[in-house]
Amino acid sequence: MKQILSVLEGVGSTWLLLLRAASYVGTLPRQRTRFFEQCYLIGYTTLPIVAILSFFIGSVLALQAGYSMQNFGAKQFIGSLVGLSMARELGPVMVAILLAGRVGSAITAELASMKVYQEVDALVTMNIPPARILVLPRLAAVLAMVPVLAIIADLVGWFGGAIVAKYVAFISIEPEAYFTALRRFMKFKDVMNGLIKAECFGFVVTLVCCNIGLNTRGGPREIGAAVTRAVVVSLILILVLDYFVTKVLM
Amino acid sequence: MNNAQQTIRVGLFFLLGLALTWVTYEALSGGGFFSKNKGYSIVAGFESLKELKEGDEVRMAGVKIGVVEKTRLAGRRAEAILRIGKDFSIPRDATASIIMAGIIGTNYVGIDLGSADAPPLAPGAEIRTKVTPDINAIMTELGNLGQRLEGALGAFGNSMNGDGKNPGLFQKLDRLVTENSTKVDTTLSNLQDITTKLNRGEGTLGKLINDPALHDELVATVGEIRSAATEAKSFVADAQGILAQVKSGKGPLGTLVYDETTASDLRATVTNLRQVSDKLAKGEGTLGKLINDDGLFNTAQSTLRKADRALDGLGDSGPLTAVGIVANSLF
Repeated sequence: MKQILSVLEGVGSTWLLLLRAASYVGTLPRQRTRFFEQCYLIGYTTLPIVAILSFFIGSVLALQAGYSMQNFGAKQFIGSLVGLSMARELGPVMVAILLAGRVGSAITAELASMKVYQEVDALVTMNIPPARILVLPRLAAVLAMVPVLAIIADLVGWFGGAIVAKYVAFISIEPEAYFTALRRFMKFKDVMNGLIKAECFGFVVTLVCCNIGLNTRGGPREIGAAVTRAVVVSLILILVLDYFVTKVLM
Repeated sequence: MNNAQQTIRVGLFFLLGLALTWVTYEALSGGGFFSKNKGYSIVAGFESLKELKEGDEVRMAGVKIGVVEKTRLAGRRAEAILRIGKDFSIPRDATASIIMAGIIGTNYVGIDLGSADAPPLAPGAEIRTKVTPDINAIMTELGNLGQRLEGALGAFGNSMNGDGKNPGLFQKLDRLVTENSTKVDTTLSNLQDITTKLNRGEGTLGKLINDPALHDELVATVGEIRSAATEAKSFVADAQGILAQVKSGKGPLGTLVYDETTASDLRATVTNLRQVSDKLAKGEGTLGKLINDDGLFNTAQSTLRKADRALDGLGDSGPLTAVGIVANSLF
């Protein structure tokens, strides 16, 4: 019962935080420094890990597809399989998981520390709403950066697949054939779906992490617990949302 | 790191994202980079677009000349808007069809070359189309064929084995053989006898088969028949010659049959004869009277009697006197 109540409390406080942050959208131009700072942290510094992960995800997809498809002569469709999987599913999901692990945890840790060490209370005392200067720039930065990360993840994954398809002996498909197959079965709508999904996941992850950070009570131990909880909740929400957003976008 | 550098990096990063999105859009929406607005569109109407979708290729004689820009329903048919590269012109009499490139639903629009002297299609114009059977249609046809074959085989089986009410061919044959087995046996034994006799050279046919002398005779007979036939042929040829002569009016028969003068003479002669015979019948003229008048006969008879008596009376009178007496008694 207590757990159910805590879940409901989490949902409610997250919605309230979102509404409060949305009410300060007008102040965003004045917070551009904070916005760019968060963009830098969320987007730019996350790029290398996103690129590396996507490259190997694309590669392993091509490898597995080639291994499975060589038995029934469908190797020429590896491009389509990797392209569609990366764009519609793996790109957005991997970006969101990386965001949860790398950025979400950082946000929660930072806000939980501020909360535990009463910096948030100080802000409130000074009539500076935390939703305005702590949450809104982060949400805006995520909205701006996640599509960029997702499209880079897609493209790097596609190229990873192409390289594997060409150089692995039992696949040996020229990049031209790989990309022809990819283009034949893909539309920009597929990529767009992926970007929208990534946007949803990133936004939810950031919002949840902010909320959990701002609702931390206790001492330093609770900071760690809050980070763990934030990451776990983020991952669960990503996978649950994935199904519903995919269904809606079909 | 100061704020300006950070902002520049974020800005660049964002622009990179936009650029990549644009490139992906161009690459996946067909036509290659930055070429979306080049070329021109034409419309191709089909009963069904089958598996055709936006971004599929348009090929002319196998060479890619454009992409399917849009697919839509227009009234009672489906239309595909084809974007053709500006370097390619399509003759007005060219025909477009949806061609299946693979069995898992890869299609493209194939356009034939058309005729060389036809004017090119204008942008926005509609190209002629034709329907090509897809795999489903072929499968349906195969299914129908199978059903028909099954029906035909069933009917054949029924006619052979019977359908429960009417006996089939096999049953009829079986009954025929069973009922007539004695007759068949007799016939077979007779046949065996006949062939045995034939083999032994008995009977006419056996001798004919086994006796070389009879064979020679038969050959000679056939030779005679052949010579007789030759003679008959020459006879017929002669007869044909005679007939030809007759037809050409030569010779007495020809003259009789074909000469108008002879015919008219003959007609006159027959008329005269009829008149003579009429007169004879009526008893006109000397001969008529001779034939019809009994009096004359009686007179002649009595005269002859008198002459006989006179001759008896004359005795040795000379023949001239007797003639004179006969003449006197006659006239």
